[in-house]
Amino acid sequence: MMPAAVAEPMNTGTPLDKDASQADLLRSARFRMEREAHWRRLDALVTRAEKGGIISLSYDETRDLVEQYRQAMNSLSVARDISLDRALVAYLESLCSRAYLVVYAPQESLGGLMGRLLTRGIPQAVRRSALPLFIGFLALLLGMAAGYRLFIEDASWFYTFVPPDLADMRTPEASANYLRSTIYGDERHEGSRLAAFSSSLFSHNTRIAILIFALGIFLAVPSFVLTFYNGLVLGAFFGMFAQKGLGYDLFAWLSIHGVTELAAIAIACAGGARLGLAILLPGRRTRRAALRHEAHDAVKLVILAGLMLIAAAFIEGFLRQLVQSPILRLTIGWGMGLFWLGWLLFSGREKKIRRGRS
Amino acid sequence: MTKKRTRKSGPRIEQFVPPEGVPVNFTIATLGSRLGAQLLDLIITYLIVFICAAGLFYGGMLPVEAETVLIVLLAFLFRIPYYIISELVWNGRTLGKRIAGIRVININGRRLTPHQVTARNLMKEVEFFTPLTMVFAAAAMSNWGIALLLAWVLAITIVPLANRRRQRLGDMVAGTLVVNNPRSVLLPDLVVASAASVPEAEMFDFLPEHLDIYGTYELQTLEEVLRDPARRAVTAEIESIARAIVRKIGYTDPVKSGQELAFLSAFYKAQREHLEKLRLFGTRREDKFHHAEGANADTAADPVKS
Repeated sequence: MMPAAVAEPMNTGTPLDKDASQADLLRSARFRMEREAHWRRLDALVTRAEKGGIISLSYDETRDLVEQYRQAMNSLSVARDISLDRALVAYLESLCSRAYLVVYAPQESLGGLMGRLLTRGIPQAVRRSALPLFIGFLALLLGMAAGYRLFIEDASWFYTFVPPDLADMRTPEASANYLRSTIYGDERHEGSRLAAFSSSLFSHNTRIAILIFALGIFLAVPSFVLTFYNGLVLGAFFGMFAQKGLGYDLFAWLSIHGVTELAAIAIACAGGARLGLAILLPGRRTRRAALRHEAHDAVKLVILAGLMLIAAAFIEGFLRQLVQSPILRLTIGWGMGLFWLGWLLFSGREKKIRRGRS
Repeated sequence: MTKKRTRKSGPRIEQFVPPEGVPVNFTIATLGSRLGAQLLDLIITYLIVFICAAGLFYGGMLPVEAETVLIVLLAFLFRIPYYIISELVWNGRTLGKRIAGIRVININGRRLTPHQVTARNLMKEVEFFTPLTMVFAAAAMSNWGIALLLAWVLAITIVPLANRRRQRLGDMVAGTLVVNNPRSVLLPDLVVASAASVPEAEMFDFLPEHLDIYGTYELQTLEEVLRDPARRAVTAEIESIARAIVRKIGYTDPVKSGQELAFLSAFYKAQREHLEKLRLFGTRREDKFHHAEGANADTAADPVKS
């Protein structure tokens, strides 16, 4: 049995009008003619869904979309087999890919995302990251100890560690009185000036934190080094003030924001360490799969670091200048520390226990 | 086999099989279009910061300190957060990506999660922003610094070049892919269109042996020529193509000068019909080298030829 279209080129009849010649057409052309209206309908629906999201479609239209999508997929599979019209197959391929994305990969809903992250996601991620957090804080503390020791042995190390713009006249040669004046706000700032200061602090510190995190991908070493270096600067600074008998005052001055800020840096380093550890010790997974898996917690650690840096910048910009008493500074600083610790240790607990038992 | 030469250099395809069981294809975006999109984003964001700064400066509505706060925060916002937010809101497309016609999708073909968007863009700091800033500062760096920077840049450029899906580090961390945004244009069917526009096409008859020479590749190359109005208009090219086909297939009837286009339309139709028929009976004829592939394919096609 021959398909009707096969006999067609042999008869050289005059061309008829379009409807009558349909029977004459190639099988693939007829196939297209019968279904084209459906495809156009799907095309219109998909275009609308791409522009305004699936929400912009009504109930009936959404049902229609799914139906037309199945039909178009069917058409695609047939067209790949029977049609040599490249334009047709290309059209169906692209239409079906677009419809596929609309149907199977729509926009994720963002409602409640922040709430979930704060109450469960971040604290749980932190509790799962004991080893990376240890690495992060270790890097910072080792850096501080090394910076302090080196400075005590030879004060010229200070110039090696501390970049001049950061030191800003606070060098080992400066008098104790000058150093004291930098701690107890003789730098008169108005409120708006403080805001500018804290916003630039936040922007700068967050950038550093993201960099520390992202560098973790190179086997965690650069993250560690950068955090260690931050500790080194701090240690040298502390050594300098301590030599002048201002250790306690500096400790209070640093504590008010530093507890939050330095913890944030160490946490960002822990995020980087998670990435680096995934590549170094992937376990039974492939390295790429391990990286993808570890990234879930690592990214949450960075978000936490970002939040803490916002708080730290606010404290550093405003409160550090406004609060002058060392006792109060210590209370605020370590109080914040306790607050972070409490949140991270106890929030979202019940769920974890339930999951652990099941 | 060297026969597959045309497939090798083509675009890279990522295939997903939805529950319907019909695989859908996405073309992996080229590194050029991705870099273009990134540069566009960079230009757009910095232009906005610049305009805001200029507007604030000349407007003079706010105190200087408040302006500084705004600019600093804006400059920060337009680094990583801009990419995260725009990809979240527009489902994997920043402004630059929209213009370049590419988008981010999940590697498993399902929806893009906020985590993935955040992860892939956080890595941008180490892959794009920091090296870029350091390149500008390279003049003040020691030799060691420059060597380190070079190694860094090399490491991050090798990664997308070295894997088939052109994933950068951020894509690997997040499990994402950048693909060309499919665009669908339905062109008219040449068979239907030519019946209406070139009526003389009915004058040509083809015998089965005329149609046994070429395969799908040649047919679709001819389709490209016939679809391109610019090439259709060049009579010299159309003529030479028609003459080449007449010679190759051994077509004996005269093709008068001026009727080459009609001949090509008629040949396209007849050839497509023939090949589609072969396909229905299970013979896929990829190109004109099918005779060289051995007697097997030909004997399989024989019963259909008659």
